[in-house]
Amino acid sequence: MLDESRIQELNGKIVKSKEIFLQAYDRFSVEDMRLIWSGGKDSTLVAWICLRFCEENNVAVPKAFTIDEGDAFEEIDTFLHKYAAEWNIELDWGRNEDVLKAANYTLNADVNVSDLNERNQSEIKRIGLDLEKFPFEAESFVGNHLMKTVVFNTYLEESGTKAVFQGLRWDEQPTRTKDDYVDDVPAGELTPAHTRFKPILHFTERDIWDTTRYFKIPYCPLYEQGYRSLGAKTTSNIAEAGVPAWEQDLENTVERAGRRQDKEAAMERLRKLGYM
Amino acid sequence: MRNVILLTIDALRKDALGCYGAAPSRTPFIDSLAARAIRFDRCQSVGPYTQASFPGILTGSYYFESGLRQRQLSPQRTIVSEPLKQNGIATAGFHSNPYMCGFFGWDRGWDMFYDSMEEEVSDMVPYMLGNTINTKALEWLGAHVDRSPETPFFLWAHYMDVHEPYVPGQSYVDCVDPTLKMGQDEMFALFKSVILPRDATDPGRNGLLRKLYDAHVLEVDNYVRGFFARLDQLGLRDNTVVIITSDHGDEFGEHGGLSHDGKMISELINVPLLVVDPEIPGATVCDTVVSGIDIPQTILHLFGMDRDARFRGESLLPLDRYAVPGCYGEAIGKLTHKMKDTDQPVFFYQEEDLRIVHRVEGNSWQLYDLGTDPGQQTNTIADAPVAEEMKEKLEAKISEAGGV
Repeated sequence: MLDESRIQELNGKIVKSKEIFLQAYDRFSVEDMRLIWSGGKDSTLVAWICLRFCEENNVAVPKAFTIDEGDAFEEIDTFLHKYAAEWNIELDWGRNEDVLKAANYTLNADVNVSDLNERNQSEIKRIGLDLEKFPFEAESFVGNHLMKTVVFNTYLEESGTKAVFQGLRWDEQPTRTKDDYVDDVPAGELTPAHTRFKPILHFTERDIWDTTRYFKIPYCPLYEQGYRSLGAKTTSNIAEAGVPAWEQDLENTVERAGRRQDKEAAMERLRKLGYM
Repeated sequence: MRNVILLTIDALRKDALGCYGAAPSRTPFIDSLAARAIRFDRCQSVGPYTQASFPGILTGSYYFESGLRQRQLSPQRTIVSEPLKQNGIATAGFHSNPYMCGFFGWDRGWDMFYDSMEEEVSDMVPYMLGNTINTKALEWLGAHVDRSPETPFFLWAHYMDVHEPYVPGQSYVDCVDPTLKMGQDEMFALFKSVILPRDATDPGRNGLLRKLYDAHVLEVDNYVRGFFARLDQLGLRDNTVVIITSDHGDEFGEHGGLSHDGKMISELINVPLLVVDPEIPGATVCDTVVSGIDIPQTILHLFGMDRDARFRGESLLPLDRYAVPGCYGEAIGKLTHKMKDTDQPVFFYQEEDLRIVHRVEGNSWQLYDLGTDPGQQTNTIADAPVAEEMKEKLEAKISEAGGV
């Protein structure tokens, strides 16, 4: 149970998030905005805050966009379909069909670069790779680029999207600590100019769960099994089996990959090297 | 502004590299880099094992001030990543040596720090291989260049592959000695029964261990090649200075031991040091005595930053301005893998070819003239005319470094 001051604190954080939505609505029309909704806890909270903001301000809800990188959890697909319908959010799905086809829709299958379309081939060159083939994995360097970044850029271009809402958080990764709430991304060689709004940057992982649980916001059932962070199916790991994410030691362990950064791990390594 | 990459290779002896005289060479790629690099011929590590040496390389401090006998890096020490990050330089470190893990305090000042501690490792290969270090480091680098191409970066990657237990893959063994056919379990048995107990009594077996070691040297050369190939792809070679060095070497019975421990001997404290600077196209050889403690100031210099008093040492560049007459190092004089509370400190000081070593245990002093005695076998402390002067210099260094 949360005490009154904690509930107030969370409400304060939601108010801050709504200010970011207000900035977005001041600058863009709703047709040009998209919620980026992966079905994970963070982007689901963004969608939920957005719904409340729209209701309070009597404005339309933007469409949402989700990326299927070809290695998704069925539970996430089900979750997204269910709540998109229940919340009446129009959800677009994006996938790199060209790569999926070249990989025969099979994980780890070799993809011949010459089988890909011009866009994908030039994208591979753009990130500095000179490959003849690569194994299809959603979260490898090349896979991540083709299956997420390229899909995202292509969607922005084709749908004319000018602004997106993302569920990034400062405490997620050390590299995120410099992020701003509003990020105007200039046009790149293959990236259309767009603005990224990050309404929940100030939420910690603990804040996410306290808010989600207190306001009874839906979440994907995988979190109950002990997942802390949901990415591609084959590269996401259960952090603590059978312990729901919100009951884990969120403050002293790292969210991604179920990291076990502790004394025990260091000592075990030293032992293996013969130093203990 | 330019970028700086520091590549360190754990336990890589200087004389294991072709560019430092190894024949046949096991490091064709690093040799090719040396052909257009500054090659330091007298670089010493400030300690003969990781814990004693890395405080020099990354914090510009000596072992005892970094946190004597403790694995935790003293909060008083500054890691070179910290002032860089404060100056807006992107910083990232990738390694798999438990002594430098985040838990022991080495994760300060990095935008991205990977120490591999969350990964499962086997007994036979108790660290992540160089290809994983490359993947992690180069993914970060690719993303950095993509996201903020104008922001200079400092990237540190450390390879563990040469470090025991020497269990190299057969393809590397074949290159060193195609007649050598050992199972990996047999190699691992040597680690348990020969290396850990420091049984260097059989010269033939020491030679065999050296072959397994050399196979790993070949392997790590390959990873360095892969790393540079990606730098080329990212178009970073022309504006990036790469520093390559090691934290210490390994012994194969030359002084009666194996592996590395608290001995101030050439096999352990002579280290390679190459500075691959695209603005200096040809090969330059520098035979001034320098040490790992100079690396943090050198990195700051390369980023155009002023000398920072929190780090000892001096910038190695420009070469003609480096004016430190000698180098110093300290460690606990343990003679096994494990450190006991009763183990006493050991110190060295070196000027040109003269190296003086002091072991607190038994109050012993040794002086070597590496010019006439490169194997460091003949102690001349009793009759060398410079003995007293060198002794005074080492004593002054010990007290200046803070004593014990």
